[in-house]
Amino acid sequence: MDEFGITVEEFINAINEFKNVSDQINDGWRIYENKNEIHKSYLKKESFINFDLQGELTLCKVEYNIFYNISYAVPSFSFNVWKSNGTLLTLEEIRQLSFIHIKREDFYSVITQQEHPLFGRPYFIMHPCHTAKLLAQFKLNSRNIIVTFLSLITPLLKLELPLEYGL
Amino acid sequence: MANDREVLREIWDGKLPICFQLDQEEIMEIQQPDPFYVMVPRLSYFPLVTDKMKRHFLRYISQENADNEMWLDYNGQPLKWHYPIGFLYDLYCGSDPQLPWTLTVHFTKFPESILLRCPNKDVVEAHFMSTIKEADVLKHRGQVMSTMQKKDHNQLWLGLQNDKFDQFWAINRRLMESHGENEGFKHVPIRVYSDDGTCNQRLVSPKNNDGSRKVLQQLISELFPDKIEVNLRTHGIMIPPDTPLQWLSEHMSYPDNFLHLCVC
Repeated sequence: MDEFGITVEEFINAINEFKNVSDQINDGWRIYENKNEIHKSYLKKESFINFDLQGELTLCKVEYNIFYNISYAVPSFSFNVWKSNGTLLTLEEIRQLSFIHIKREDFYSVITQQEHPLFGRPYFIMHPCHTAKLLAQFKLNSRNIIVTFLSLITPLLKLELPLEYGL
Repeated sequence: MANDREVLREIWDGKLPICFQLDQEEIMEIQQPDPFYVMVPRLSYFPLVTDKMKRHFLRYISQENADNEMWLDYNGQPLKWHYPIGFLYDLYCGSDPQLPWTLTVHFTKFPESILLRCPNKDVVEAHFMSTIKEADVLKHRGQVMSTMQKKDHNQLWLGLQNDKFDQFWAINRRLMESHGENEGFKHVPIRVYSDDGTCNQRLVSPKNNDGSRKVLQQLISELFPDKIEVNLRTHGIMIPPDTPLQWLSEHMSYPDNFLHLCVC
């Protein structure tokens, strides 16, 4: 935990920069600002994706959030996937969608369903202690900590990160 | 250090009488099931104390629902299993005590937009341990948990699961120590909940800038600048506003190492 931490202000600056690039390339990230409690501001993106669920192509709505974890002082990533009938995909269904085959045990230690600290509802959240360790290795070379952060987790999920963010 | 052992013991021994009733719509037998009464530790979690109750009601429901995930509600309010039982009672019944606490048991219509899935007790353990870790990050930058051995982590969980005070506190006291020159935690792991269940978490230091001890009233004024009088409750007790936050954290935290306080 000692290795890494960013202040709320650094987080806010980073998400603003990130959002500007997103706007330029129409990537669809939006900022939800909380003026009273600044640490509750977050980035959100929604998209619709066809997933292959047990051999059947199903249209799903995916929501991604990047928010600030106040205890660990790191950016955090959460998401949910809804089928068109409004039900949530289970963690096991999501695991089977991943691009990379990571081991079952590893997957469950990285992503768990939790009550979202901002929304108070169930979301899948990447465990922040891994984030702190990983980001520590990249902080010095990082131009935007959100880009670095996302590039570390996108291999786990079907979330595309266009090259433009790195330019 | 958590030195007031009598207080720790008293809080550990807190129990609630609960009356479980099966949702009328789910009863498939002509004979009505008896309600299921049980005394449960306030500090425990529902999935740890409901095995027997579940078996009791399984005979009365449609067998196609028998493998579904069971869930509970109080007055139509689904109960979040990942909070300690005593906290849920304080949140929903604190100002209007009702004993035994009557809850409704369901095997269908799982409210997945409100409740986390809990397929087994490993999920409860994972949730409990990650909450303790987060608390330790706030208190000691995570250094106590990361220097503990796996068996110590297990002992915390088993102490809670088996209701063994000595087993739990033999390890937990290390999490309640202050490090460094100045006494006190870096931050106090604290969550304050309004009666609608929304939670307020922010970084709270146990000390003022001049080094003096911060008391609960100061935190209340920071959190609710517009309200004149706010009382907070935990473990069924209204906390005196002059209680120092450091003492409160050491003695009144739940086993997950967080203070869970309800506005009342």
